Amino acid sequence: MKIIGQKGTQIFGQNRKKNRLFLTFLLFWFLIIILRLVDLQVIQHKKLKAEVIEQSQDLITILPTRGTIYDRQGKILARSLPAASVFFSPSREEPLEKQIQNIYRLRNLLQLNETDLKKITSSIEKRKRFTWIKRKIPLEVAEQIKKLKLTGIYLLEENRRFYPQGQLAAHILGGVNIDDYGLAGVEYLYNSVLRGEEGQQLIMKDARRKEYFIETIKETRPGKDLYLTIDSTVQFLAEKELQQAVEKFKASWGTVIISIPQTGEILALANYPTYDPNDFPPPENLMVNQAIQHTYEPGSTAKLVTVAAARELANISLNTYYDCSQGAIILGGTTVRDHVRMGILSFPEVFIHSSNVGSIKIAEIIGEENLYRMFKTFKFGEKTGIDLPGEESGIIHPLEKWRRTSLRVAIGYEISATPIQILRTMNVYASGGFLVKPRITLNKPQPIRSVIEAGIEVSNDYPRILSPRTVSEVVNLILKPVVEKGTGQEASIDGYEIAGKTGTAQKFDPYLKSYSYSRHIASFVGFAPADNPVISMIVVIDEPQGPLQYGGQVAAPVFREIARKVLLYLHQAPTRLSEKMIIAGKKEKNAGVTD
Amino acid sequence: MVRKKYSWKQIFLAAGIILLFLGNLTFYIWYQSESIQLGYKIHELEIKVEQLKEEIKSLEAKKESLLSLERVDRLAREKLNLQDPMPGQIIFEEQISK
Repeated sequence: MKIIGQKGTQIFGQNRKKNRLFLTFLLFWFLIIILRLVDLQVIQHKKLKAEVIEQSQDLITILPTRGTIYDRQGKILARSLPAASVFFSPSREEPLEKQIQNIYRLRNLLQLNETDLKKITSSIEKRKRFTWIKRKIPLEVAEQIKKLKLTGIYLLEENRRFYPQGQLAAHILGGVNIDDYGLAGVEYLYNSVLRGEEGQQLIMKDARRKEYFIETIKETRPGKDLYLTIDSTVQFLAEKELQQAVEKFKASWGTVIISIPQTGEILALANYPTYDPNDFPPPENLMVNQAIQHTYEPGSTAKLVTVAAARELANISLNTYYDCSQGAIILGGTTVRDHVRMGILSFPEVFIHSSNVGSIKIAEIIGEENLYRMFKTFKFGEKTGIDLPGEESGIIHPLEKWRRTSLRVAIGYEISATPIQILRTMNVYASGGFLVKPRITLNKPQPIRSVIEAGIEVSNDYPRILSPRTVSEVVNLILKPVVEKGTGQEASIDGYEIAGKTGTAQKFDPYLKSYSYSRHIASFVGFAPADNPVISMIVVIDEPQGPLQYGGQVAAPVFREIARKVLLYLHQAPTRLSEKMIIAGKKEKNAGVTD
Repeated sequence: MVRKKYSWKQIFLAAGIILLFLGNLTFYIWYQSESIQLGYKIHELEIKVEQLKEEIKSLEAKKESLLSLERVDRLAREKLNLQDPMPGQIIFEEQISK
């Protein structure tokens, strides 16, 4: 027993030692595990969690689709289409030099020139994590790049702005930058409406990084669509005729605005030279929207206000006569001339033949205060409030700053205005005496023909500034005869009655410090048909070259050609029958009936 | 030490519970994997719907581009030799009846 006991004690002693060793080992092993766990769960927690999230989740920003811009008929003027952008982000899988070579492989596909490549390479060599290679490429090209599976080259879905009508209405639409932010025109003014709001999505991925679940964290709000008052066809006709006129007269620029006089809706706003918004931004000089941003001394078109002041404020009789036979008059030490000597003219004839001498004589009777008051009533020196960016307000000096020559305001000098302000002035007569605010956007599509068929009326929101009597007298006794037998005869259209006023303003030469005899701004503003107007229009041509310089010679024919085509397009039948008409054209209600 | 003996009843009960648990677990795993598979399909279809929507928008814009008045006008003049009617060449039926 003893022996056994001794043996047993020995064995137990050995086991205890082994056990202790084993336990120590276990303890040590557990300690290592615990330490490793602490390292993973506490020390490296942030980094590892980020890695896990990166492997299994993607939080992506969803860019909203920019709203579409339509004309009043629902024709697309601007739309955002899907495109792809190529960028470089260095990978650990390949040496950097090899990855840079990958970019050179895309050279032809992306049409990258040496400068582009140098720029990209230098950015990569600066160890930047993200470098754009080319943005907004067509999806077909993106597909080809995808197939190449190049290391470090990635594609990003984006949108690109597309203007399917090319140059049409460029100055109204404006344009966007590479990040789809509006920089000009309605794209700029309505940027927040068109742009929408970015959204966010969480994409869950499995071990093979395949997407299996998408959770929308923030809904994307797509941009709202925008409807313009513009009619593409009217706009096209205006642009085409304007371009021809500017090229024919080798003018610096020209502008045409067409509106519905009773509502102020702009049907067309054309400038030439112009640009293609698909290639935005254009050279700076082409960006100027002359129709609302160019201020000029309007010349005789300002007599529309003078005649209103004479009848409304000074109550000058229509039967008064003025001696204009001298062809010149001295005003404050300067000579005001007529383009020809005109003899004795009645009150309406002064304006029909656009006599500066007669107008100054009338202005002297009206008086400075009344004249100034009437110009302010017509809101000269103030923006019209059209919903386009960058509108100029023009200048009319306060009465206390008027000089001895300032009565020339009556003939459109010492005052500046934009073409849109002059059109608004003519719209007062065309709308029956209301000062209507021009506008460029609509709430919903409204085809112009249906608007005309429904009947156009002036909204109660607009103030009446001229009495119906004055409007009727001026339209019937002055504006219609201007086109029938006055300075605007070139604007007459066979079968239609047109009302209008010509304007020829000498440009001020800052070097000579006097008005130039060779540089003019020729204009014509009018409406048609005269008794029941559906359109009003202004044509302004800057510095026409050659023998024809007057508004009646340069701008009136442009008015005629545009108005003739637009009236036909609007199904406005001529009111006077002409025997020359030989080919039958049909109004839409008779369409389908053949002879 | 005396080993405890389990009755057949207890053994069957335990086996039943284990089977039930395993069954539920299998169903749960199958359900999850089917959900994921459906998720894949839905996701792919959603992407396809979006792509088709975008394609429609692109085609509409392309159509507008092809029908742009400048292009139609040019083709009418150059390929079909059409030209604007002269001012006296158009009358309305309304006027003929007068």
